[in-house]
Amino acid sequence: MENIKNILNKFDMEYVEDYKPTWVKAKLKNKEDILNVVKALKKEGVKTCSTISPTDFIDENKIEVNYFLEDLFNKRNVWLKVDIPRELENCEIDSITPLMPSADWHELEAYSTFGVKFKGHPNLRYFLISRDYYGKFPFRKDFDWKEHEKNLMQNIAEITEEYFDEYEEYEENVGHDGSRTVLNWGPTHPASGPIRLKVYTNGENVEKIDPDIGYVWRALEHLAERKDFIGTIVAVERICFMDNPNPMICYSQAVEEIAGKEITEFAKYMRVILGETGRIASHLISLGGFFGTMGLQTFSMWCLDIREYFLDVLEDYSGARIATACIEPGGVRYPLNDYKAWFESINKAIKKFEDTKDDITDIFMKNPLMNTRAKGNGVFTLDDVAKYYLAGPIARASGAKIDVRIDEPYAAYDKLEMDYVTCENGDARDRLYIIFKELQQAMDLIKQAMAKIEEGISEGEMDPKKDHLIKMPKRMPAGEAVARVEWARGEMLMHLVTQEKATSPYRLKLKAPSVNHTMVLDKLLKGKTLSDIPLLYGSMHICQGDLDR
Amino acid sequence: MLKVLDFFNYARSKSPWIVHFCSGCCSLEMLAAMGPRYDWERYGYIMTPTPRQADIMFITGLVSKKILPALLRTYEQMPEPRYVMAIGACAYDGGPYNDSASVIKNMTEILPADVFVAGCPPRPEAIIAGLEELKEKIKRGEPSASSQGGLWKQMKF
Amino acid sequence: MSVGAMLFYILVFPGLLFLLAWMFFVFYFARKVLAYMHKRVGPHFNGPAGTLQTVFDVFKLLTKESITPKSADPYLFNIIPILAPLVAALPVILIPWTPLINNGHGILDTEYGVLGLVVLIGVEPFLLFLTGFGSNNKYSFLGGMRILAQMVSMEVPFFLAALSPALLFGTMNLYEIQSQNTWLTALILLPGAVIFIIAMLGILEQPPFNIPDAEQEIVYGFYTEYSGTNYVLLKFAEFTEMLVVLSAATVLFFGGYRGLFFDSFWWLFLKVAMLAAVMVAIRASNPRLRLDQMLKFCWSWLTPLAILNLVWIIFAKIYILGA
Repeated sequence: MENIKNILNKFDMEYVEDYKPTWVKAKLKNKEDILNVVKALKKEGVKTCSTISPTDFIDENKIEVNYFLEDLFNKRNVWLKVDIPRELENCEIDSITPLMPSADWHELEAYSTFGVKFKGHPNLRYFLISRDYYGKFPFRKDFDWKEHEKNLMQNIAEITEEYFDEYEEYEENVGHDGSRTVLNWGPTHPASGPIRLKVYTNGENVEKIDPDIGYVWRALEHLAERKDFIGTIVAVERICFMDNPNPMICYSQAVEEIAGKEITEFAKYMRVILGETGRIASHLISLGGFFGTMGLQTFSMWCLDIREYFLDVLEDYSGARIATACIEPGGVRYPLNDYKAWFESINKAIKKFEDTKDDITDIFMKNPLMNTRAKGNGVFTLDDVAKYYLAGPIARASGAKIDVRIDEPYAAYDKLEMDYVTCENGDARDRLYIIFKELQQAMDLIKQAMAKIEEGISEGEMDPKKDHLIKMPKRMPAGEAVARVEWARGEMLMHLVTQEKATSPYRLKLKAPSVNHTMVLDKLLKGKTLSDIPLLYGSMHICQGDLDR
Repeated sequence: MLKVLDFFNYARSKSPWIVHFCSGCCSLEMLAAMGPRYDWERYGYIMTPTPRQADIMFITGLVSKKILPALLRTYEQMPEPRYVMAIGACAYDGGPYNDSASVIKNMTEILPADVFVAGCPPRPEAIIAGLEELKEKIKRGEPSASSQGGLWKQMKF
Repeated sequence: MSVGAMLFYILVFPGLLFLLAWMFFVFYFARKVLAYMHKRVGPHFNGPAGTLQTVFDVFKLLTKESITPKSADPYLFNIIPILAPLVAALPVILIPWTPLINNGHGILDTEYGVLGLVVLIGVEPFLLFLTGFGSNNKYSFLGGMRILAQMVSMEVPFFLAALSPALLFGTMNLYEIQSQNTWLTALILLPGAVIFIIAMLGILEQPPFNIPDAEQEIVYGFYTEYSGTNYVLLKFAEFTEMLVVLSAATVLFFGGYRGLFFDSFWWLFLKVAMLAAVMVAIRASNPRLRLDQMLKFCWSWLTPLAILNLVWIIFAKIYILGA
């Protein structure tokens, strides 16, 4: 940490201070220095850019760009801020993509939504937003959404026009001679979900992949700015329904940090249980989906069977199967009136999994044809992890010891026994195995947390009927916070900015891992065959919900 | 003759095939409805990989502006008679995304649905119950709502 | 052969009605068995235990609009679905179905039964390739190309394996092969049967070789653009081909309609159903292979093994049967 501070102090900084145990927060005075700072940090080992989050301060006529840079393997993170002018023609800064490829799509996103021009970006273009927002920068505070919405039909016609243009362009460029063509893999493809991969193929061989995203873009970051602090939960939990509780934990932490509140022990353990249940529900879909991409539905059906029992757990607690809204700033939403019955249903779900575990291992995890397809296919090395910031299970499959639950413990994870779960090879098969291992780890964590709660209740330290929520202020003080959680697909980072006496967030940046995982698809699939697309795409466990937000 | 036609309507109502189109989060509950606990294949529903063989299209929750042309195109590719079922609050008026300008809020005006299932997301039982209602409509031989009107007829896609 | 008998053969058994009944049965059977392996129930409410489900499916598809895409070749696109079931049904006349017809011989009792069977089964994929070609859709075309690649390679071990009973019994007449088969020869033919069944999965595009209509990769392969009646006809062709290949396997390797205590069509049907169940079980537990892996497996393992199997048959014929 000291090294990083020394490096930062060499430059012209407004301040350099510690923030949380693993972060250094610094503000740069001149935007011209950014490349040199990043270069120096990269030499020190901070090789990864988690995300880039501009904040539009319209009153002060500036845009503050936040860089979240991470040293993944030594757990040292830098939060670098720099002010740039707000006028569109001057709103520019040097691109760090040539130094840190992981920043690529995050810069494009910042450009499309805020109009921050990144000089030197290899391919600066509009991205994520639909055609009608091109050049309008919708996340700026002075963008008039109501006005924009009036021309709905015309906007849709514009979007359609773009598709036709693109089609004609392909027809011209590719032509009908030879074996080259462009396939649209999605958004109506049986295995794709709402994403489009433009696959440039030569016969069966893939030459290039160009992902086109934004098909489920809901502008959640902007939606959050119009809701109050509790209502934002609705936007946040809808990042992706597969793992529902964890984004809420992340958001609640950010709010609690700004309000300066500490939640109760009971709520912390409850967050562990709910978060891990969400992880299990998500991982079971990922597991089944992996085989589903190779045309085998049996396993995904078996996984859905087990998943229903874990959804029952969520339903027993919150009343909803997947849109639970069960965690809010200040703790967890509902008291646990009959904790024994709830624990019983958790145990039932875990037993259901454990009964099936041997069959799953014998039939599917050791399946010879799966081995043929997935072993040694689509390998990521540790360098790739740092270069593109692959997060969560994908990184751990390559042997990277990254886990926010251990690196920067939140909820009650520091009081539970857990270790990094890793695989060595980083191929598609390991990305399946790691999910299976993490399932077992998650169930172990749930058991530990349940034991702790039972212990706390019997000793009279916890009261499940009262301790679930502490009172949060209606109006927040001005502040800024960064919260991270280990989501089912990797690190989720939220950057929350509030203003004095605010009732709703001023800016909420959601960073979700699927962006980086989609970014590497081109590298992953180049030179492979058409059959590998669904397999490797499925092995990245991408959810379009958190890809587009 | 009438009896024979009735039989065809009856057969049609008993074998509804659904096109695989996923535009929002509600498809997760469709997955659950396919799964072992709810198993909609008991009633004869199956997913087809291409719209060419499908009878019913689902509007699964939110429809963003960008995916709308693809959705309408998929609908257009289905053979007659074709029916639309909208599930989730978003498919009706935007639901939780009602104040987000990148989501279409008048989906029912653009492509009128025969059955709308409420919920965010609707439970699998609700989805199956909605499909059963659609079956009744098919059995009576009623034309689908989307063939009767809707803005989609004037749109280019 | 009288006109009445001919009409009976064409329209009832083993012709149209029988094949339709088979289609209704096997579609339902596969769905139900697969569902149980999925821990589901499968079709349940339509008809007793869901047995009428496929009937409804077929009648629905027949009354639906049959779309011919604007860009498709209208003649090729619409003629092939009519040709495909006819060609697929041709080998039916070679197979001895039951002791009641023609004294237990096939309707066409010929010395070249095995050859005819293999050749007629081999014609089918080229028609399917033409459907992909005529659809003028990228995914259909890829499916068509894949089916050609798969057939060209899979037919070699298929043919070699089908030769092994002919070699062992010294005849290509299907009736002769089936009636000379004993427990001992069935055991000798077992390696050949295994190779035949594996190659058969490739010929029928069943998992793990369902590469030409791989849903997750190329949408639905050559079926992608087909709807309504055309789709039913193509599916009919597929199931007819399945019946022909499965019953060819039973006739060649497992004694056809011969069974314990009495000879009957139902023995053949039972064996075919068992083979179909094996196929469904393989489908329920194995993911799909990649095209290049399939080709590699076929040419560097299956084909050499099929040749070795012929050597073993000759060895067994000389030293075990003492011919």
